[in-house]
Amino acid sequence: MNKPEPNARRSPAFEAALVALLFVTAGVGGVAYGARSWMPELASRHGAGIDAMLHYLLVTVGALFLAGHLVLGYFIWRGGGRRQIGLRMASHKTELVLSIALGLGMLLIAEGGVIAIGMPVWTEYFGATPPSDAVTIEVTAQQFAWNVRYPGPDGKFGRTDPRLMDDALNPLGRDRSDPAGADDVITTNEITVPVGRTVRVQLRSKDVIHSFFLPNFRVKQDAVPGMTPEVVFVPTREGEFELACAQLCGLAHYRMRGFFNVVSPPQFDEWLRKQAATAN
Amino acid sequence: MTTPASQVVETPPHDAAEPHLGFVRRYIFSTDHKIIGIQYMLTGLVMAIAGALLATLIRLQLGWPTHQWQWLALLLPKGMPGGVMTPEFYLAVVTMHGTIMVFFFISYVLVSGFGNFLVPLQIGARDMAFPFLNMLSYWIALLSALVMLASFFVEGGAAAAGWTAYPPLSAVWSAVPGSQLGQTVWLLSMALFIVSFTMSSLNFVATVFSLRAPGMSMWRMSLTVWSYFISSILGLLAFPALTAAAVMLLLDRHLGTSFFLPSGLVVANRLLPNQGGSPLLWQHLFWFLGHPEVYVLILPALGVACDILPTFTRKPIFGYRIQVWCLIAVGVLSMIVWGHHMFVSGMSPFSGEYFSLVTLTITVPMTIFGVNMLASLSGGRLLLRTPMLFALGVIALFGSGGFGGLFLGNATANMQLHDTYFVVGHFHLMIGGVTMLGTFGAIYFWFPKMFGRMMSERLGKVHFWFTFVPFFTLFFMQHFLGLQGMLRRYYAFTSYDFLKRTQGQNVVISLLAMVLVAGQLVFLANFVWSLLKGRVAAANPWQATTLEWTVASPPPHGNFGAALPDVHRWSYEYGVDDVEGDFAAQSVPPERVPVTA
Amino acid sequence: MDNVIAFDTARVGRADDEIDRHEDVVRLGLWIFLATVTMLFAAFTSAYIVRRSGTDWRPIALPSVLWLNTLVLAASSLALEVARWSGTGSRWRAASVAFAAAIALGFAFLGGQVLAWRQLMAVGLYAPASPHSSFFYMLTAVHGLHVIAALAVLAWGAVRTWTGAGRRDLRQWTGLVGICRTFWHFLGGVWIYLFVLLSIY
Repeated sequence: MNKPEPNARRSPAFEAALVALLFVTAGVGGVAYGARSWMPELASRHGAGIDAMLHYLLVTVGALFLAGHLVLGYFIWRGGGRRQIGLRMASHKTELVLSIALGLGMLLIAEGGVIAIGMPVWTEYFGATPPSDAVTIEVTAQQFAWNVRYPGPDGKFGRTDPRLMDDALNPLGRDRSDPAGADDVITTNEITVPVGRTVRVQLRSKDVIHSFFLPNFRVKQDAVPGMTPEVVFVPTREGEFELACAQLCGLAHYRMRGFFNVVSPPQFDEWLRKQAATAN
Repeated sequence: MTTPASQVVETPPHDAAEPHLGFVRRYIFSTDHKIIGIQYMLTGLVMAIAGALLATLIRLQLGWPTHQWQWLALLLPKGMPGGVMTPEFYLAVVTMHGTIMVFFFISYVLVSGFGNFLVPLQIGARDMAFPFLNMLSYWIALLSALVMLASFFVEGGAAAAGWTAYPPLSAVWSAVPGSQLGQTVWLLSMALFIVSFTMSSLNFVATVFSLRAPGMSMWRMSLTVWSYFISSILGLLAFPALTAAAVMLLLDRHLGTSFFLPSGLVVANRLLPNQGGSPLLWQHLFWFLGHPEVYVLILPALGVACDILPTFTRKPIFGYRIQVWCLIAVGVLSMIVWGHHMFVSGMSPFSGEYFSLVTLTITVPMTIFGVNMLASLSGGRLLLRTPMLFALGVIALFGSGGFGGLFLGNATANMQLHDTYFVVGHFHLMIGGVTMLGTFGAIYFWFPKMFGRMMSERLGKVHFWFTFVPFFTLFFMQHFLGLQGMLRRYYAFTSYDFLKRTQGQNVVISLLAMVLVAGQLVFLANFVWSLLKGRVAAANPWQATTLEWTVASPPPHGNFGAALPDVHRWSYEYGVDDVEGDFAAQSVPPERVPVTA
Repeated sequence: MDNVIAFDTARVGRADDEIDRHEDVVRLGLWIFLATVTMLFAAFTSAYIVRRSGTDWRPIALPSVLWLNTLVLAASSLALEVARWSGTGSRWRAASVAFAAAIALGFAFLGGQVLAWRQLMAVGLYAPASPHSSFFYMLTAVHGLHVIAALAVLAWGAVRTWTGAGRRDLRQWTGLVGICRTFWHFLGGVWIYLFVLLSIY
């Protein structure tokens, strides 16, 4: 390959520098872009752990990403100017040592993060028994609404039956003959909870798979028909937040929006009373 | 830069030896692996155009959700009445874009196309082990693609439940318009695809096992061949799970069984009679295929890049045997990590922990693989020809997208990122970008061997810049949209306050996508122009070492002459002293150039 | 597979050792295929196990004709063995008859499976009746499709035995009948496995 190529008009070194610059820009630009704060404002207790996990990954991975692109750029810039190859082959020992060292380093970063930061959050989120004063809410998803039910003062949900379901009159299929259901409080697309108290959301779905996503609370759980997964978390900030569907559920998936209001405990009791009164 | 005659194995003019083969048997119903490979490639490229047009529609909708595209209303009166896309059409477009790009573009061009063309040539065989089966697999593949495209025109439109087709959405006819006939057609097309892909993978494995030329031990095979070998085994073991799932979904849809449909479903205000099925069962079966499938696609791209790199650094690949072991390790691990797609599905949290820990062990072989590719550059004399640019792009995208896997494989981080654009960005960089750049690299590299002409370098370089820059930027940005909570498969981001601020970024991404698609026109022009007018290629224009470069461009029917080549060395004998240059083809005897590995 | 061999041999006109090698490749291909079939039934099995744990599992009484079908299939496998034994002794007429018997019994098995379906339908047990019946119909149908494919391979072997095309020399014929045997006994094994799964679990 000593003869000049018909297409190679520019100097190879210049072109190599240009390509090297491309990849270095990708690395530096990527980190500069990604270093901004992106996540929605945090409003839950366990969410701090999830954010810590994400930040840990953003920092470590960001560093590796930058280093990788800088090395790539350097090799291109350096190699583009060579007339002869440098080292032909590294020894098998070098190859092995480099591979093992980097592989183990990556394993440490990846699994270390899971074990040291991720698992405790995961265990707390799924494993902790909710305290007795937790607010229990049943959320039944359907195309395309969130049916919300509070058990009322008796703490018990009334019976429901899919055979009684009617979108207009009885979306939850409540069995009116069950006394436990008499004081149930029902809302649509609106959940109100008190700040600082544990919230237990029992998820159901009537039709297809939906996903209960509260971006500010770092909560996401699929609502799968035939299953009743439970989500337990503690809101830490008062305000009006949004509930989104995160699993493709049909035509209006993109606007299956709910409101998630976190209020002070007295306001919450007041709200619940008012809801019960209007229902009766 | 002509290859000396001594290095070209003398081949008799084979066409003369096959007088009974007419045009149809030679170029259409051909059993020649090279023709079949080219047929797969061209079919896949046509499907890629379809997939790219669908991507354009998606980005028009997401960038400007309320704009009325009057001229599009003329083209698509049903999907875009008044110039605004309907949600049902949008979901069909998203589903079909994913399906077409994964199964009908990358699988056809890179896996089946280049696999067919390269594997027999590189291992020194005259054809695949089962040439007739090979031809059959192509024609079934074509049928499958046509059936998939036809689904746009059935009642209710094309399937709209996403390429993952989760039931009940995909199982209940009234759940979404695409779940009428469109979903059935989708399943039938996938069934045909699986039949074809199984035949093709079976052929690869049998060919590599049994038709290697004398002296071509497994440890002398190129990484390209290794990657096709591993990916074919993965396909053979993983696809049956989707077959089983597809059969059950078809029965649920048409015979009223309840494999995936639980009791008490009320869809469109009507109680369904189904009892006791499990929607999660589909997800397990689907991802048991789905995860290995991404490696089926990406391993060949990595393998191809590993063969392009040494050619344009003029030195051997770094850590050849380690790379092979990494491919094997990734193949094995990919079969036991499918649950990382289901962290928030309601699967047991203990499974979540298991899948998280096992998934992240994949970082070990993949990191080593990536770093070895990078290390292959060190000390090299870089020749930045078009295939090399794309191979460098593969390294960059693999190194960028791969890191996203650390987020998504981590169950705790996944809780926030699941089903957001972080996922979309991640898999586009990996099975979209690495595979696409690998495919383009392969096309530029082997085009001379396929068609006997060189592609234009200048247009190739323009194509590289107009592909890498927009592709990397837009899908990198999507990761951060995901961190903001922006969800995938949304028809518009206008309904939520927390997503309103993403609109500006979405416009930028849409504009970049238009640049990306427009950049591909350069490629198409280059492809067609080079096919007709390109500089005539020598047998070995890149001075590469594997066996396909020792025969004429394009190789004759039967590939090698009267005798198969004798293989004396590994695939990466660069940086040596020979009269021909700084390399030795695998068939060069050790007396002429000493064997170094 | 008929065409693969016929076409290839015609085109290349291989030497004897190349034919041997080709038989090896076909055998390898068959085993790879059987590996994917194994994965298919493994996937169905895992679905079965998941679905079996559901609350609505109501076992149905499997038709007793299945026992007979199992015997018929076993007899068919036996007939194929007789064919091989006869062929090895160059008793070509007996080999051809035994081959034909194996195929006939294979069709009888399929007929018996259809009869089992009809018996279930006669008592109102269609596929959706219970998960157990869904699996019964599905697994027998999927197995049946594989049996049909295998019968085509058997027919290829039988024709080549009958016409003499496949027995120019004994080694080649053994290879040919070996492919038939592997495929056929494998599917017999799959049926016994499915029968046990559907009856006991």
